Amino acid sequence: MIDMTQQTADIFGAQLSRRSLMKTGGVLAVGFAFLRGGAARAATETGVNAFDPSMPESWIEIRPDNTVLFRTGKSDFGQGTVYTAYRQIVAEELDMPFSSITTVVVADTDATPDGGGTFDLLGHGMPNIRKAAAYTRQAILQLASDRLGVPKDQLSTSDGIVSGGGKHVAYGDLVKGESLKLTIPVSGDLMSIGGLNVGGNPPLKPVSQYKVIGKSFKNSAVSSKVTGQEAWVTNVKLPGMLHARAIHPATVGSKLVAAGKVDAKRFPNTKVVVKGDLVAVVGPTEWEAIQASYQVAKDTKWTPWKGLPGNAKLFQHLRQDADWKAVPVNKSRESRGDVPAGMQSATKVLTATYELPYMKHAPIGPTVAVADYRPDGTVTVHAHTQNAQALRGQLAMMLGTSPVNVVVKTYAGAGHYGRSNGGNAGAEDEAVLLSKELGKPVRMQWMRNDDMQWSTNSPAAFSDIKIGLNANGKIAAYDADHYMPAGQDDRPIGAILAGLPTMAAPSEKGGWIDSIANGSSDPWLYESTPNLAERFHGTYQVGQKSSPLAVGLRDHSMRTPSQYQQNYPRECAISEAAALAGADPLQFRLDHAKDERLIHVLERLKAESGWQPRPSPQPKATKMGAAVVRGRGVSAMLRGGGYWACAVEIAITPATGAIKVEKYTIAVDVGIIINPEQLTRQVQGGAVMGISEALYEEVAFDEGAITASDWMSYPILKMGEIPEIKVVLVNRPEVGMYAQGSEGANALAAPAITAAVFDATGVPVRRLPLRSAYLKDMLKA
Amino acid sequence: MLTITVNGKKREVHSPDSTPLLYVLRDELDVNSPQFGCGLAQCGACSVLLDGQEIRSCISSVSMAAGKEVTTIEGLSARWAKQKSLSPDQAAKTLHPVQEAWIEQQVPLCGFCQSGMMIKATELLESKPNPNVDEIKSAFTDSGPSAHLCRCGSYVAIIEAVRYASTIMAKGGSK
Repeated sequence: MIDMTQQTADIFGAQLSRRSLMKTGGVLAVGFAFLRGGAARAATETGVNAFDPSMPESWIEIRPDNTVLFRTGKSDFGQGTVYTAYRQIVAEELDMPFSSITTVVVADTDATPDGGGTFDLLGHGMPNIRKAAAYTRQAILQLASDRLGVPKDQLSTSDGIVSGGGKHVAYGDLVKGESLKLTIPVSGDLMSIGGLNVGGNPPLKPVSQYKVIGKSFKNSAVSSKVTGQEAWVTNVKLPGMLHARAIHPATVGSKLVAAGKVDAKRFPNTKVVVKGDLVAVVGPTEWEAIQASYQVAKDTKWTPWKGLPGNAKLFQHLRQDADWKAVPVNKSRESRGDVPAGMQSATKVLTATYELPYMKHAPIGPTVAVADYRPDGTVTVHAHTQNAQALRGQLAMMLGTSPVNVVVKTYAGAGHYGRSNGGNAGAEDEAVLLSKELGKPVRMQWMRNDDMQWSTNSPAAFSDIKIGLNANGKIAAYDADHYMPAGQDDRPIGAILAGLPTMAAPSEKGGWIDSIANGSSDPWLYESTPNLAERFHGTYQVGQKSSPLAVGLRDHSMRTPSQYQQNYPRECAISEAAALAGADPLQFRLDHAKDERLIHVLERLKAESGWQPRPSPQPKATKMGAAVVRGRGVSAMLRGGGYWACAVEIAITPATGAIKVEKYTIAVDVGIIINPEQLTRQVQGGAVMGISEALYEEVAFDEGAITASDWMSYPILKMGEIPEIKVVLVNRPEVGMYAQGSEGANALAAPAITAAVFDATGVPVRRLPLRSAYLKDMLKA
Repeated sequence: MLTITVNGKKREVHSPDSTPLLYVLRDELDVNSPQFGCGLAQCGACSVLLDGQEIRSCISSVSMAAGKEVTTIEGLSARWAKQKSLSPDQAAKTLHPVQEAWIEQQVPLCGFCQSGMMIKATELLESKPNPNVDEIKSAFTDSGPSAHLCRCGSYVAIIEAVRYASTIMAKGGSK
């Protein structure tokens, strides 16, 4: 037992302290301190988090009325995780009812502790907030032990009450009249893509005792969104705020020759602002700014530039002209055996090249931000970002100031699936520069064409794959070369155009995030393969080196990044290899799998999709004619600890290339299911995005610029085109971990649909998207 | 100066007559649910009801709305209460069946398109109280200037929610 006259107690490495007694109120606040020696860089930057660890604003607050507030630097991009799963995890680890978790504070640099990108939110089963809650419960037990005079090991908790030795006390009563602080250990770099990580190993609640996790609690953000009460980033209005529109260069390599002038008769209150190659029109009303921007754009002159291959010659360019020698080739850790010998021994060999186009994150709302730059050199930015702390760092670098002068507030907005996990989404830096220039708050709203043409892209890629089969129709050797340009360019475009400091462009010198190297992102599934070699080749972004702006086609991670580009060719090739072996493609996968969870997911998929074993192509397959022919395909992946598989059925008209996905069954095992309803909605949504990517998505560009500019030139799937979608959730509490529930879903569709086209027509199709015009040509060839 | 009726209230408009309704609603009248998505009538994020018919407010001049009734999702509850002649007390506690369905079915992911989706659902259900799946798909895909687009892929949830709203409406409300 700890004597409560002591001022501190050790809680599994965290420090519990009583600071003062209070006449009213009371709180147990959970703050943080950096792990000693763990992260030198972070330790020197503690000042950049507006939190004073001695203040009662931090991770979790237990209040006298037995309610709880928690804070997370992660935001919500439509996953709902911070409002559902995180709430459930906090409630579970605290041993309180879900309804006790009344307040969630997200992703403001001056109001949340940990930073980090909004992705992989369930972080291989261990999000920060889980450990913070677990430490807090231990602190509660300590406090109760002191209060009740009962040893900790004789106490238990349930529904926010500690009991033991015939006594009990509510959590809230333990903090009443007290100002208590629990300081937990963290490490990491606040403004990096990963942010801070909670350290140590507080005891976690056994999964067998879960009461809150596993139930379908509703997302509190849904109610505000459907009643018109949500505080969207688009709604931010500040006194005296001006409306801005950008006039971006004519090409991704064009320098400004002369900015146009505003027609003062038509637009008396509007002006042009020029900073280097950054041109913007700013006015008091939105409609005047829009109209004036069209007029000024027409009169603005740019240097011509041609440094892109155009999308028709993209793969010729990547194959022949791109420099794949600038960085070392990486091999997957799973490479094994003797691939040349395995190929030598093979009785049949599949050799194929697969090509994936650039794609857009394509949020329904173009990027928008409001910046308020003050004469004292501080700036507050109202934004929709997946990583508020990283954005803060980027803006401070651009301004040449300390991050303490920059505050980023995060609001709900249009989902953009990875675009801002390293900080900016596009409009923020431009808003800041204009606000600084004009001394007034500025709202920068990109138009649809800006968002299509000047945001980052999911990188194009191609892969050469060779599979040797032995006499039994099993894989004797698998050999793959994956080629992809740099996948993450986090430089703010406005800062680049204005000639201001940014992080370096992706290069051979970059680290994990900004290197042009390519690496393994698609864990190997087919464990019985004796000989395996996977190589990953990286290069510069297309056009980056020759562009006078050093931008070219800027790439960025997008839902299931890199793994999308590697899983598509692998799963297509596995389906083709099954056909070569005369085997059913689902059984072929099962025959090569050893991981029990993968086998279980494939078996469930087989049963739930009504899969009848037979080889592809189907007996009546044809590549000709105006009659509809049907086919089916399957694919699988292991994503962030979760097992995914899908089966699709399609109908295709060979003469026209018209294709329709008719049925889609998806099975997923993400370990412990935290919220079945929310997971189902994520999986359905990911499936729809994946079908959209497979059938339609490709960024058109010419020799200088992206030419896709709207929803006609970058079409996505419409409601009338969705198939019947069946989601099969496999709950595996015994694995004791969580895994992300949405990223895998979008990547599965393309290889399964591609395999279904082969099943229906007998023609192996090895590129995306499967637009009717392309399919028609490929089937004729 | 124009006068338009928004969610049952007469509002004076100072913006020029040719200003698209979207910017008048959002910037001048502080009615924020219609979103700017494309400005080209290609996505439906900005949809509002004009005398019960869906229009794309990003390309419709505010002068089009003169003397007419504009409804956004902020006004859906009151619209339902009026249609059902609910008392002020009941009305204050009532959501439109479409809103109730959108919550019950947990439709929004990011939710940016959902204001427009709910406007489309309301228009559909007012003219066709019991639409089947094909009719729902057709309404959101083929009617109006373009399909209503959702990037998060909430189409399955929307279909389920429209069906659910239909059953609530058939009962005369959730009570």
